[in-house]
Amino acid sequence: MSRTEIIEKLKEILLAADDRNRDKVAACTEESRLVADLGFSSVSMLYMVIAIEEEMNIRFDNVGASDFQTLGDVVSYIEAKLK
Amino acid sequence: MEQKRTNRAKLFSPRYLVHDFIKATAAIPGLIWMRPRWIFETKAARKRIRGGALLIANHYGFFDPMYLMFAVWYRRHHFICGKEFFESRFRWLFKQFLCIPIDRANFNFNSLREITDELKKGSLVSIFPEGHINEDGDNLGAFKSGMVLIALQGRVPIVPVYVKPKAHFYNRVTFVIGEPIDLFARYGRRPSMSEIDAIAQELQQKEEELKQIAYQKRR
Repeated sequence: MSRTEIIEKLKEILLAADDRNRDKVAACTEESRLVADLGFSSVSMLYMVIAIEEEMNIRFDNVGASDFQTLGDVVSYIEAKLK
Repeated sequence: MEQKRTNRAKLFSPRYLVHDFIKATAAIPGLIWMRPRWIFETKAARKRIRGGALLIANHYGFFDPMYLMFAVWYRRHHFICGKEFFESRFRWLFKQFLCIPIDRANFNFNSLREITDELKKGSLVSIFPEGHINEDGDNLGAFKSGMVLIALQGRVPIVPVYVKPKAHFYNRVTFVIGEPIDLFARYGRRPSMSEIDAIAQELQQKEEELKQIAYQKRR
């Protein structure tokens, strides 16, 4: 799975997760900051991780919510897990 | 087919030896001191909690975990507590009392798995959704929505409990037990974040109702 495909999949997951900030999610890039730009809270971060684990069949091990600052960090983590 | 959730915790196990011994030893002095009174919201709330469940309660003081152990006395509680408690010299005691440490500053996803695994095994996990001791007297603080995700992931019902502490040493402690709320049965899927926030508010409202019951029935 390429980085572009991962980010598209992530957008899909985020749009299904929360319909309150559709515009922000639709326009997000790898540089988008999860808290400052996308308005993530610790719970929405958890929600995203659960959804990714279920949809992409991977496990987030030994990482915490603040280990991911941007969407690119999440993409890199997923990319490494899928290899 | 959904696997039936049962409480598989053994009645006697070396793991629970210290926990059960302290609980049994403290039972009579605790009952004399608290003279607890149980009020059940409905007939369904009167039924004993079997299998995995997430118990939520208001948090007024340091002794609230102890009150909860009396409120639902027939089950062993796994409490979720800050990891700083596990860094103190009482680490051993917290471990014996089946506490699950979480890092509040940087929530580790393994902690979520540890909590949901306990729930899936059929354990009772107790949590204070306000997230900290409420300094604002009788007013409930805002509930954090993380508990909703935990219950959904563990596929267990949420049991709201209100503890009305003693105002004076001669008062009784009142426990109001609410009806279990099975979110998984209600949604059958993972709700969206806005629905989860709405559920957290609904649970806070429920806790307010239980509080009203506790104060109405004051003698």
